[in-house]
Amino acid sequence: MRGRGMSRGVDVEELHENEVRILQALKDLRRGSSEEISRLTGLTRDAVERAGAWATTKGLLSVEERISESLVLTEEGREYAERGLPERRLLRLIGREGTPISDLRGTLPRLEIALSWAVRKGWVKIERGVLFLTREGEAALGREDLDERILRRLRETPSGSVPREWSERIGVLLRRRLLRRVRRREKILSLTERGERVIPLLEERKVVGVITQLTPELLRSGRWRGARFQRYDVSLPVPKIHPGKRHFLQQVIDYIRRIWVEMGFKEMKGPILELSFWNFDALYQPQDHPARDLADTFYMKTPREGRLPDPEIVEAVKATHENGWTTGSTGWGYRWDPAVARRCCLRTHTTSLSARTLAALRDAELPAKFFSVGRVFRNETIDWKHLAEFYQTDGIVVGEGVTFRHLLGYLRNYLEKLGVERARFRPSYFPYTEMSCEAEMWDPERGEWIELFGAGMFRPEVVKPLLGRDVPVLAWGPGFERIVMRHYNIRYMRDLYLNDLEQLRGARLWVR
Amino acid sequence: MPVIEVNLEDFNRLVGKELSIEYLEERLPMLGCGWEGRTEEGFEIEVFPNRPDMLSIEGLARAFSSFIGLRTGLRTYEVRESEYRVRVEERVSSIRPYIVSAVVKGVSFSDDLIRSIIQMQEKLHITHCRKRRKASIGLHDLEPIKFPLTYTSRPRDFRFIPLDERREMSLEEILRETEKGREYGWILEGKEEYPILMDSKGMVLSMPPIINSIHTRIDEETRDVFIDVTGTDEKTIREVLNIIVTTFAERGAEVYRVRNIYPDRVVETPNLEPWRMRLEPGYVNRLLGLSLSNREIVEYLERMGFSAREEGGVLEVWVPCYRTDIMHPMDLVEEVAIAYGYDRFEPEIPEISTIGEEDPLEVFSRRLRDFLVGYGLMETVTFILSNKEKLFHRMGLEEEPVAETANPKTEEYCVLRNWLIPSLMEVLQNNRHHPYPQNLYEVGDVILLDPREETGARTCRRLAIVLCHSKASFSEVKAMAESILRNLGVEDYTTEEGDHGSFIEGRCFLMRREGETLCFGGEIRPDVLENWGLEMPVAALEMDVDLLFHLLEDQ
Repeated sequence: MRGRGMSRGVDVEELHENEVRILQALKDLRRGSSEEISRLTGLTRDAVERAGAWATTKGLLSVEERISESLVLTEEGREYAERGLPERRLLRLIGREGTPISDLRGTLPRLEIALSWAVRKGWVKIERGVLFLTREGEAALGREDLDERILRRLRETPSGSVPREWSERIGVLLRRRLLRRVRRREKILSLTERGERVIPLLEERKVVGVITQLTPELLRSGRWRGARFQRYDVSLPVPKIHPGKRHFLQQVIDYIRRIWVEMGFKEMKGPILELSFWNFDALYQPQDHPARDLADTFYMKTPREGRLPDPEIVEAVKATHENGWTTGSTGWGYRWDPAVARRCCLRTHTTSLSARTLAALRDAELPAKFFSVGRVFRNETIDWKHLAEFYQTDGIVVGEGVTFRHLLGYLRNYLEKLGVERARFRPSYFPYTEMSCEAEMWDPERGEWIELFGAGMFRPEVVKPLLGRDVPVLAWGPGFERIVMRHYNIRYMRDLYLNDLEQLRGARLWVR
Repeated sequence: MPVIEVNLEDFNRLVGKELSIEYLEERLPMLGCGWEGRTEEGFEIEVFPNRPDMLSIEGLARAFSSFIGLRTGLRTYEVRESEYRVRVEERVSSIRPYIVSAVVKGVSFSDDLIRSIIQMQEKLHITHCRKRRKASIGLHDLEPIKFPLTYTSRPRDFRFIPLDERREMSLEEILRETEKGREYGWILEGKEEYPILMDSKGMVLSMPPIINSIHTRIDEETRDVFIDVTGTDEKTIREVLNIIVTTFAERGAEVYRVRNIYPDRVVETPNLEPWRMRLEPGYVNRLLGLSLSNREIVEYLERMGFSAREEGGVLEVWVPCYRTDIMHPMDLVEEVAIAYGYDRFEPEIPEISTIGEEDPLEVFSRRLRDFLVGYGLMETVTFILSNKEKLFHRMGLEEEPVAETANPKTEEYCVLRNWLIPSLMEVLQNNRHHPYPQNLYEVGDVILLDPREETGARTCRRLAIVLCHSKASFSEVKAMAESILRNLGVEDYTTEEGDHGSFIEGRCFLMRREGETLCFGGEIRPDVLENWGLEMPVAALEMDVDLLFHLLEDQ
């Protein structure tokens, strides 16, 4: 039995079902592209190429690569193929007595295009702003022209071939950008001599006896016993698959939360849409401070204003701005306006949460450490380097005896855990901290220090009105985008929020 | 923040030492400014808003020469008496009420000084002067001026020849037609008359805060200068005057006092006397975590341009007249820290034992995020800022009230999203060129208007899923919704037919419990898909994470 299927070393019984189908398809064709064979056999192109490769190793087929060109409709071309060319739609609108062009404005989209092509095709003539049909135009009324025929053909059989004698009109349509040439790489399979000899044997081939896919049916019936399994070429490529995955930025955020929690910090939460009072006033930012400008801060149209908190706190904040209150400060020396503090805005930093937390904190709860991670907003013109919305993580440590050195201690630890090897702290300025500092990271490639974030100790003008007494408070508000960008080799800030699936699927796991 | 350009040679001359650019690049930031980079002639440096006195090269050099120990301690400036007077008329008090002034003589206007002064004036105007609204500076050639001056106001048709123009113009024309008029005219908006400074012969010096007249123009020949600062805040204009006058003094000019005579009082300016603040040494060491002796603290303060002496255990500190940022003893502590050197502090983590704790909603959200990955979904992180086109029109919905910003720079981001699915639709739109299936999720925040809240709005946590592939269907997404709820142990809900404009009629489900919607979803309508340019079916769901969280918390 087995010998009957042998032909010079090729065991017909061992051929994969797909190989058989390809060989049968090539019986008449002799050679064909994987695309054509796919159409004939109903197999996917992938499957054809894979099985074709198996048959090639057995000497039944030979494969060559060809770059083929085909024509496809552009978006505009597709629209015209469905609704008619603009010049065709114009033609239908022209009356026997002629039609003034002015009548057509507004009724026909792309009028200029339609006019120019109708004239060029000799379908219409224009006399003193009135359009008349020519004889060719009348003839064209009931007849499809070659341009339309080409569009229709390509619409019905995409990437099909078109006769050579149409090439002149195809050139015109390409220039009109209704068509586009597409180059494709494809495999051409040809039957070898040996392949031709095998074909007659295929008919007699018995499919049973070789198993490709093991099925429940085969298992239940036990027919797998004694059968042989089709051997696969294990080096052949398989389709790519992608796991579901956490976004890399969220992975980093989870890690940052862990850093703080491990150091004993408790999380603070609060609104994104915030009162100016908590975002600015409670942090001792004077009401005419440039950071409060419309140019930097998103103020709300709806809801425009909110309600100020506990009058006791509001009064203390007001007095502190105006004359320093009991904080020992001179204050800013201006008239504080509650209406300005009531304005709603999008928080420009999560330090607003630190202010809220201080106001809610009771003496018995000291010492205390808090952190937050959240979105912040800046009214920026968006480009590759600037975002209107990004993340920040804030921290405060409240307690008698905490010092500037402790501030640097926490920050150094945070930076080390994020993989920043060389950091420094230099003096900086924020209206709400004294001993303000900027953390910087050394960039060995650019040979310069890069600003990372600001930190400091809250001024008594911030702490006393909110907490009721002056206790040292360490505070910081790092963004972490720069560090994430460095880790993921991302060049532009905006690429962090692209949500490009290729980027997400390819991004390494955050393994800290 | 303002950046100033510094000529290295000029800077070194003022500091009094040959300093290399490498040294400055390393040390200047440690004084508290931002190194912006080198230039052909020197370098650029960012000056922080608390130090307007460093906006001139003279001021920067003054601070730095102290900082590196060359000329430490308080600098004193002599102010000479004079007969110069400025009368302030009542009628200007409702327009731009305050003026202070000074005269400096014996200035030699080198190229360097002119450049430095113009740069300082410009940067001060932007920052400390709040774009000239709060204060504005006028510098005039003293020579043609006949004292006493009058600071008053004049109606809109009053005329003079402004600087850089060839003809007389009315005040109204100046506002309308000159560059400065258009730039700063807003400051005088709604006023019947505009401020005018003129001399005893009726010659106009300036129209503050807009423009000077042509008559008192400064050039290389100028030796003596009259300085006026007008504004709405008396403290600010005095500070600005002191900063400018001491800048001239650093170049060797003599300073003369001017009497500014208001209807009800006389203000003599400039006042370049230092003022006094008390500082407890214990406070310094407590905040910094150091144990500095009193002598050391005094030395460090001197390096920052102060002088100090101990008196009964407390330090008496003299603050120079140009330091506008010293409000509280804590500001002096920072000065000590800067002089000590931020790079010399040893970081240390204190032994404060507290219990770390994440917000429970955040813990729940993370559990959800990790769990959803098990369905093979890809997590996305999208913006909360959105627009009505995306939230409503493209989703096939009527507009609803939604939190909206008043002053967006781009229409792309002008409202806060009130649901999550549109954000994921946008991600699908941006990924049309990538292979399918594209099954995504996000656990994120939306903002809902709520008048009960103190801010008038509420931040809500939601979960959304979109399934986008050739066979995406109602049953697939409903199965997913049920599966999520089952895994959370939520079972006592009803499933009803939803009526939501983004979903195909009859293919939208609503899962409700005690009158509240836990979840909605279904198959997205083809015209909505078309709006997003998608040629692949999408099934989507959105869940109320806050509600689920409270349900589970109660259990």
